[in-house]
Amino acid sequence: MFFIAFGLLMALAWVRLQAPDVALAEAAIGAGLTGALLLAALSRLNSIEHTTAAPAYPQKSARALQLQSWLAMALLLILNAGLAYSILSLPDTGAGLTPLVTMQLEHSGVKNPVTAVLLNYRGYDTLLEVFVLLLALLSVWSMGTSQQQPEASPGPVLDNLMRLLAPVLILVAAYLLWVGADAPGGAFQAGSVLAAAGVLLLLSGWRLPTRLLDRPLRIVLIAGPAVFIATALATLLSSGRLLQFAPDWAGVLILLIETFATLSIGVTLAALFAGGRPHHPPDRS
Amino acid sequence: MASLINTFINTLNWPVLLILLPLIGAMICFIWPRSAILTGLITLSAVLCCVAGLTWQLLEHGVYRHPVGGWGAPLGIDLYADGLSLIMLLTTALVGSAISVYSTAYLKPQESTRFWPVWLLLLAALNALFLSADLFNLYVTLELMGLAAVTLTALSATRQAYNGAMRYLLATLLGSLCYLLAIALLYHAYATVDISLLAQRVDSSPVSWAAFGLISAGLALKTALFPLHFWLPPAHSSAPAPVSALLSALVVKASFYILLRVWLEIFAPLGAGAVELFGLLGMLAVVWGSIQALRQTRLKLLIAYSTVAQIGYLFMAFPLASNRPQLWAAVLYLALSHALAKSAMFLSAGNLLKYGGHDRISDLDRVVQRLPLTAAAFALAGVSIMGLPPSGGFISKWLLLEAAITQGRWDLALVMIFGGLLAAAYIFKVLGRTFTQAATTHEARAVPASMEWPALLLALGAIVLGFIAIPMFGLIHIGDAFGLGGVQP
Repeated sequence: MFFIAFGLLMALAWVRLQAPDVALAEAAIGAGLTGALLLAALSRLNSIEHTTAAPAYPQKSARALQLQSWLAMALLLILNAGLAYSILSLPDTGAGLTPLVTMQLEHSGVKNPVTAVLLNYRGYDTLLEVFVLLLALLSVWSMGTSQQQPEASPGPVLDNLMRLLAPVLILVAAYLLWVGADAPGGAFQAGSVLAAAGVLLLLSGWRLPTRLLDRPLRIVLIAGPAVFIATALATLLSSGRLLQFAPDWAGVLILLIETFATLSIGVTLAALFAGGRPHHPPDRS
Repeated sequence: MASLINTFINTLNWPVLLILLPLIGAMICFIWPRSAILTGLITLSAVLCCVAGLTWQLLEHGVYRHPVGGWGAPLGIDLYADGLSLIMLLTTALVGSAISVYSTAYLKPQESTRFWPVWLLLLAALNALFLSADLFNLYVTLELMGLAAVTLTALSATRQAYNGAMRYLLATLLGSLCYLLAIALLYHAYATVDISLLAQRVDSSPVSWAAFGLISAGLALKTALFPLHFWLPPAHSSAPAPVSALLSALVVKASFYILLRVWLEIFAPLGAGAVELFGLLGMLAVVWGSIQALRQTRLKLLIAYSTVAQIGYLFMAFPLASNRPQLWAAVLYLALSHALAKSAMFLSAGNLLKYGGHDRISDLDRVVQRLPLTAAAFALAGVSIMGLPPSGGFISKWLLLEAAITQGRWDLALVMIFGGLLAAAYIFKVLGRTFTQAATTHEARAVPASMEWPALLLALGAIVLGFIAIPMFGLIHIGDAFGLGGVQP
């Protein structure tokens, strides 16, 4: 609970620091989805604790523990003091690369400098990040299958609310994706709003039909990474440089990458919320 | 015809393929899990070809630099490859291929479908890491590598494995965060994250000291330098054998590589106090790791503690090599020899585990008669770990010892010799048991050839390194990563 509040306050802090892009991402992921993930993990932990006995850890004496925590606190204080000193010795305004980013903006294909950095100047980082997200899902899936819960009707109120909310959230995601080229927004923010729709649907008892659970789901999950890689290969073949977009094409290519990335990010985050890998995969041998 | 082949080799962009091919392979494994093994093996062969192509390219044209997106530093990210990166890429491809072949026989089918996509992502992360010239990009590759390594640790899905993986996850995340904080500081102060630009701009200020401290602490934690090694033995011993081999041979070396690169390029001119600290921790690691290894009753734990000790040698070299830059090549050679020998040891341990159903050292039963290849692999790998001639381990440790004596560093020299003796003790403790009959004999289970040969070939590789040192040192010095200024050792 504190974590969700912390995420919201962080988002406000980012707005105050005039970083609306980060604020949007923080609000959606830090305050929204992470909290939902933590609560889901907590509920799973509760159900596990009922079935297995707690493992026996070697107990340390209270005195030793107290000594340990005082020692840790002293070390942390020294570390903090050192860091604070070095931060205070920094020049007040680090210019960073902002002038260079603005200067090259017209060649980047978008008008939002954050999107230009993420998808054009440093697109290679984002390419790898997209795979980090896929890997996170692979990790969760490799730990086991999700708890089987049959499709359940949530009752008329929630049902009607969801019928109203889900399309709105999808529209918001599409808007954030489209506006990302000119104003704060973009694939990560749009993807997390899409994921929020998925989480709400899952909470209200909706389930993906079984026939879509295996290969179709997997194809949607890798659509974003796959389109990104395909673009990378295409640019490598046409210009000889990895991810070099011709200025005329840059806008279209970035939108293409972001559209599929949004889809994959949204579904991946919702799948993370659902937990382990889906039941009855036909590849089980 | 020859010129056609030449242009083909020179025009293809091998390093970019080294990063993209494993990513593509991982996606194919994810979509078609049934053909994961085939896809994986094809990808590994392609990666081997790419490394061969890159070697050729570097020998012909010198260092490689590729501005991704055509922007160039500081706005964009550069890929960069010199002799230092090449040796790491070569190690990764060779060790990775041997372990891949091994894993086809070792892992159960269900484990195998989960292993391949994650391992290929790990491979992509390692290749990208060794090719990056950008500190923030290195952070992204570290994240990809760390998460993949944790997932592989938990592959066997036992309580012990989850416990080891969880500790590993927390340790590796803490290391990454320290590293990220350092990059934020450096970027604010110097307005770039490109390594070569930072090298020109960094001056001796509180910020650069704080950044260096944070980077060193974070990466030492990931490299499991004593006393930050607490996560390594449980993680490396509870993972399946091919995964333990990957973690000990490659993943730990990757964070060491970043530390070495950052030290050489950016922080070396700033001061010499840090190298003494590295040297001291390295000495403690050698002594502590070796004694712990000697005390273990389980084979895999023994090998894991041996890794802690051998990492100590890498750090002990810092005070010596900062006076004499030629020695960095010996450090790198030691890392390469250790990667080959340690992966051979873990694979042999996996064979013994399959063959007897346990890895208790005292109950090893007539291994030499029944699994001669495995016993030979373990013994040959042991030769390199102990630093006996002829082996890669011998060449590099000999160079370090010689430097320690000529520089009058008797403390380092004594610890090196003592560590070698302890290594001999713990390796002969295992080897002695392989000849004798155990108190409780048991039926041996057959171990397929595809599990025995990779281990033996890796161990032979560690031995062969003892004979090809001169051409290999030539490769290491491409691009002059150690700042020798044209002076050859």
